[in-house]
Amino acid sequence: MKNIIAKYLIIALSGISIPVHAQYEFFSPPGAFAIEVSLSNTDQKRLPMYRNAISSLKVIGDNIIGGTTASEGLSPFIFVASISRQELIDTLDINKIVPGQKSVQSGFCKWKDNILIAGTIPLDKGDGHLIRIEIDAENKIKSKDLGTPVPGEGIFSLTSNTRDNMLFGISFPSGFFFSYDLESGKSHIYKDISPKENELEQLRQFALDPGSYLSRSLIIDNNGLVYGSMPVNKLFCFNQANESFKILDYALPDVWGRSALGQVDSWAKSDDHRLYGGNAGDGQLFVLDTEKMKVKNLGKPAMMPRLRGLTFGRDGKLYGITGALPGYTHLFSYSEEDGFHDFGNPEFPMKILGIEAGILWRGFQIGTIASSEDGKYIVMGEDEALSQLLIFTVEAK
Amino acid sequence: MQIIEIKFSILVLALILAAGSKSYCQNNRITEKNIKFIEYPGFPNGHSTWGDIGYNQKNNSVYIGVTNHADSVGLYEYNIRKDKMVLKGFIGDLANLRGYQWQGKIHTKIVAGPDGKVYFATDGGESREEYLMEHPHGYAGGFIMQWNPDNNRLINLGNGLQYESFKDIDLDPENGNIYAVSYPQVHFLIYNPEKNLLRDLGRLGSSHVPRVIFTDNWGNCYYVDWRQRLVMYDKIAGKLVFAKESLPAFPGTPGAKIITGLISFAKDRKNNIIYLMTYGAKMLAFHPQKSGIGKIEDLGGVLPPSMTDPLWGPYCPNLNLGDNGKLYYVVGGHGNFSKENKTLLMEFDLQTKEYKIIFDFPLSLVSEVTGSDVKDAQGNLYFAARKNVAVSNAIDNGEGGTKGEISKPVMIIFNPGKEIRK
Repeated sequence: MKNIIAKYLIIALSGISIPVHAQYEFFSPPGAFAIEVSLSNTDQKRLPMYRNAISSLKVIGDNIIGGTTASEGLSPFIFVASISRQELIDTLDINKIVPGQKSVQSGFCKWKDNILIAGTIPLDKGDGHLIRIEIDAENKIKSKDLGTPVPGEGIFSLTSNTRDNMLFGISFPSGFFFSYDLESGKSHIYKDISPKENELEQLRQFALDPGSYLSRSLIIDNNGLVYGSMPVNKLFCFNQANESFKILDYALPDVWGRSALGQVDSWAKSDDHRLYGGNAGDGQLFVLDTEKMKVKNLGKPAMMPRLRGLTFGRDGKLYGITGALPGYTHLFSYSEEDGFHDFGNPEFPMKILGIEAGILWRGFQIGTIASSEDGKYIVMGEDEALSQLLIFTVEAK
Repeated sequence: MQIIEIKFSILVLALILAAGSKSYCQNNRITEKNIKFIEYPGFPNGHSTWGDIGYNQKNNSVYIGVTNHADSVGLYEYNIRKDKMVLKGFIGDLANLRGYQWQGKIHTKIVAGPDGKVYFATDGGESREEYLMEHPHGYAGGFIMQWNPDNNRLINLGNGLQYESFKDIDLDPENGNIYAVSYPQVHFLIYNPEKNLLRDLGRLGSSHVPRVIFTDNWGNCYYVDWRQRLVMYDKIAGKLVFAKESLPAFPGTPGAKIITGLISFAKDRKNNIIYLMTYGAKMLAFHPQKSGIGKIEDLGGVLPPSMTDPLWGPYCPNLNLGDNGKLYYVVGGHGNFSKENKTLLMEFDLQTKEYKIIFDFPLSLVSEVTGSDVKDAQGNLYFAARKNVAVSNAIDNGEGGTKGEISKPVMIIFNPGKEIRK
């Protein structure tokens, strides 16, 4: 009877009226806000529809730098937004730098002097390019085409070894590993970890495409070793010193019968140099012990697959985004002390010119997450037809 | 039922208020014989109706979905000629839904195609449904359904987005395409039943889903974005077109009302005008165009300034246009009443811009009204209404739930131009 009463009390609270009647609380910490970066048909500086899914994100100082993915036949953008001003500052149509591209989803690698490097994925069977991005003193985007590291392929994921001016990446759709010397502009392609025919056959049986099985993220440990995933459900390690690959004995954590879905969605490195990874397949968080080359499955923060982004806040906690279509994203935190906390959907106020009261913006599909350099702010980028930024402040320790 | 008719010219009201006394301008033209209330048989636990009402010209019937807001939705047909309300069945049985495909209600309007087939779509029942967040039993998602009155068969046309509900649909009578909006992710969808093709045009809103979409004479479809700007699916262009400016709103209208956009509409097909109401209680006249977004005219508030403070406050999820060219709507519901414990059937004269209270209903008669643009060939206007009844052993399931009362659905027929009962 108690349950019935509770059930109908819930129903009584629901309805089509204002205010919103939810049976849960959204994540809405004090000071959080959303920035409207996408809007159709406006004189304000905004990203146009279907060209703004935020697939790469970096924060340098007050600037949020984003890279987008466009829908079929359209070109993506680089953009800059200001945390303090809570507004979009500048946009750059990638088509003006490199024609024929559809996505910047590699993430941004920070090089010297706050120069960022990103990779593109072409529209069709063209070449993906590395692009160099700088934000000048007026917060304008300056970009330069650095060329194509793997002819006929896009750039799916990227990481950098700034000490040696080296970039490492995975090409799309073939999944070749490549290195790129930022000083000389020379690249080297390795085919060691790209899926073999028997693996491709297995992946086809699961109706998986390259976007669902290639490593979406790469990371470098303090010894300069590069880590990523490869089909089927494996982790690899690349040693630049001798240009060798090691396939780890311990596979990505999986749910029984679903190992074909194994794919590193995200990485983050803690202050004590541990590598935390997110597995797309079933949304498990794991930690990689680089000494023992051993993976420990830390569990699933929510019921859904995908774990598209990880970043550390100034409180020392790991913040991540898990879940994606056909469900939606939950923000979570993890620490050894407290374990997981599922915050659910963020819902932050968004200021809009002409709407004095502002509106609340709820994030459903969130594709990226990044911290400010001091870990004070955490920024999330949506993956929608019209995507916005969601920003909250992390409590100090 | 207290039957009063009050003429509210702003000037008169100002004088009344200045004098500190009430004065009612009685008009005997509309009486209790102009309105009747029709109960829904065979569903004792039916507790509400939503926007789910529509008229089918082909068989001169009105269709309504009545729900217990948990797991049973009854499909009703009101035969106008016979003056008979019939339960055609429960959609779970009619459409062979399994237990895990439970549906909380029909929230969409009910629309009829030129061939007389009737369309609607289902909803899990607000946020309790959110499969991946809250509901322990999960929600499989809403379905688009087609009712064929000729053979009394309900056909399930399939899901929209997986795990998502439908809040509203409309039909392009020319090509049979169904426009829809999903909940909670606010995706605008177009479904072609002939080819079984579903297009997802993406998310257009955020924290509260606008509940109303509507079409014009050409079959273009309209929705709003989070700035309360009209968004048109332009059939000729084959894409979404966004208005540059937001729809008019009263100063101080809360963002939660802005983001929810439109609440009801009524069409003047002959003159190509669509009357709109916003969640912020604005009445608008929209003049659609075949291509591109047409002109918007601000008609003022749902209630005159003398009757409401704030102006954006009144709640009115219903609207109909009488054959006399006047708008009719019932204000109040969901805990938001412009007159204490009353709902008000209002008349708005589009020529003189005068407001009249036609009836003020006690909540035991009418506690909330939904439904847009439901009119038959005789000029009868139909509303999906609820009333408050005492909780009893037989009836313990409904909205409201305070002070021992609970909601019970009832259909209203109202004809401002002629008596419809003895």
